[in-house]
Amino acid sequence: MRRLFSGVGNGFAEIWGHKLRSLLTISCVMLGVASMVLTTGFMEGFFKNWEDSLQDQGGIEKIFATAQGVKEKQEPFSAVSPGLTLADARALRALVPQAGVISPEIEAPRPRLSRKGKTFEGRRGARVLGVTNAILEINRYEIGSGRAFSDLDMRDDSEVIIIGSKIRELLFAPGDEPVGAFIDFNSRPFRVIGVLRNYERLWGTYNTLDWKNEIAFVPVTTMATKVQRSDRLSFLNIKAADVSLLRETVDAATNVLAQQHRGIIDFNVRTNEEQLASFASTKASFVIGGGAIAGVSLLVSGIGIMNLMLASINERVREIGIRKAVGATPFNIFSQFVAEAVTLSLLGGAAGVAVAVALIKVLAATLPPGSTPLLSPSAFLVGFVFSVSAGVLAGIYPAIQAAKLDPIDALRYE
Amino acid sequence: MPLGLEVLRLDRVGKRYPMGDVIVDALVDASFTLREGEAVAILGPSGSGKSTLMHLLGFLDSPSSGEIFFENRPVSSLNESQRARVRAEKIGFVFQAFNLLPRLSVRANVALPLAYHGSPPSDAAERVSRALELVGMTNRAHHKPGELSGGQRQRVAIARALVNEPRILLADEPTGNLDSKTAATILDLFQELNRLGRTIVVVTHSPEIAANFRRQLHVRDGRVTEGGVT
Repeated sequence: MRRLFSGVGNGFAEIWGHKLRSLLTISCVMLGVASMVLTTGFMEGFFKNWEDSLQDQGGIEKIFATAQGVKEKQEPFSAVSPGLTLADARALRALVPQAGVISPEIEAPRPRLSRKGKTFEGRRGARVLGVTNAILEINRYEIGSGRAFSDLDMRDDSEVIIIGSKIRELLFAPGDEPVGAFIDFNSRPFRVIGVLRNYERLWGTYNTLDWKNEIAFVPVTTMATKVQRSDRLSFLNIKAADVSLLRETVDAATNVLAQQHRGIIDFNVRTNEEQLASFASTKASFVIGGGAIAGVSLLVSGIGIMNLMLASINERVREIGIRKAVGATPFNIFSQFVAEAVTLSLLGGAAGVAVAVALIKVLAATLPPGSTPLLSPSAFLVGFVFSVSAGVLAGIYPAIQAAKLDPIDALRYE
Repeated sequence: MPLGLEVLRLDRVGKRYPMGDVIVDALVDASFTLREGEAVAILGPSGSGKSTLMHLLGFLDSPSSGEIFFENRPVSSLNESQRARVRAEKIGFVFQAFNLLPRLSVRANVALPLAYHGSPPSDAAERVSRALELVGMTNRAHHKPGELSGGQRQRVAIARALVNEPRILLADEPTGNLDSKTAATILDLFQELNRLGRTIVVVTHSPEIAANFRRQLHVRDGRVTEGGVT
């Protein structure tokens, strides 16, 4: 340990002795480490965003059951199936304990929301869904003010509505209290009982979460009896109680639905797994790509350090001879030169991390949120490991050369 | 002065070099013993093999034949690292060209061998001060070698050779790069050190310098003969 410190001390003396040469080498390492840390930061930022948006769609434990057309050979019998209905939700509730949350949803076609002559027209028009409180959990909605549906709302098919923040913004003046007020849904008055939290994740100036704000919920029973006049579901979403039981849950749900539909496969059960798989494979390819960039930068910095060390050894043949004559073992010489190389690369690494941090700070302030690099501890770790390994790897060969020098030849050297 | 314990013994030591196509016998059947407290001059013209002999005595080189014993142990039984350790702890070298490290201060140069001790002495700082005092360089301890005269540099080099309190001090033409007046003071220093009990071996081509030492070994065409004890 003591020798290592004296080696590092020596390293500083040598660096000071060849300022320009050392500066160039250090900048080599600095650029390598900075680009490494920056790339890692960008990758982490990108994947963090993607992962968040996966979570916003219900995460991996979400299972989607939707109606779909039957296969040709089943077509003549398709009328025996009642289709995807509220009864299916009740059957799943009763028969599939692995289904933690079950959310039956009926979407109103071409809904029209209006109040005092103002009509909501979102980018894609507002969506109005007949739901239960389960949707809040499955799709991660939070009530900003007011309340969720009560059992009475469900039982009595009450005309109550929960609206998204965008709808509130368009139908109400900023000072108006929406909770308790009435708005018209397809010309039928509904009392607002809650307003959803405002969701925002900007990609440039575009809010990628606007779809969560341009939405309104009414009780699924109200939607079935008073608007759609049938209990046919648009979606039946399920959240598995345990991710590790996802497959079993999907199988059980499929069986129950097939039973309910008298063997007619007029539904489709999917999961987020495919998206997740593509997330994982993209991430893997990015890691490989990042690894390749790291490898090239490592190589470049390594070559710079090795070049410097070899030049320095040529200049210091005599010093090596003297050190050997006064009792340095080959290992002493070897560790001295490795320590010098590590000192160089550590200086470069520290400078590189500093530059990268500054750049990330600047980019975070100027780039639109959503595409900014993240400053993570792993980036520092990468920078540190990177520079030390560049130093050690590039130092080994010159250090071996130095250790192998014959002291007599070295002393004769002029 | 009674002669002390045996420090170095050469038993029919030979060294051959291939030099192009011919094989040169730099040293042939050299046999002699160096004892504690001796002051020996190895005298010979340039090319006689005295530098080879010097390198062999300091284990910087290995003999082609014969055996060297250091404190009665055959040197051939030691590996390179063990030899380096013996050099660090028991042998001091002084060179014609001083061989100080220009980037280090006088003090750091003198301390250099201590860094290579197996277990560094706890009184390292004191030892460095004592060695510098012995050669009269205490007031220059923080200078760089480049700021010193030739004689001063050689004093520093001698201090470095003495700092590990070696069994034997090997000097290769220590006055070769010095004017005669400075050379005389360095030789006086060697005499003084010998009086204090140091074993000293000086290699030189000059009979005048050799005359300062009680025992002389003559090297001519690779053969070593006793030149008598004065």
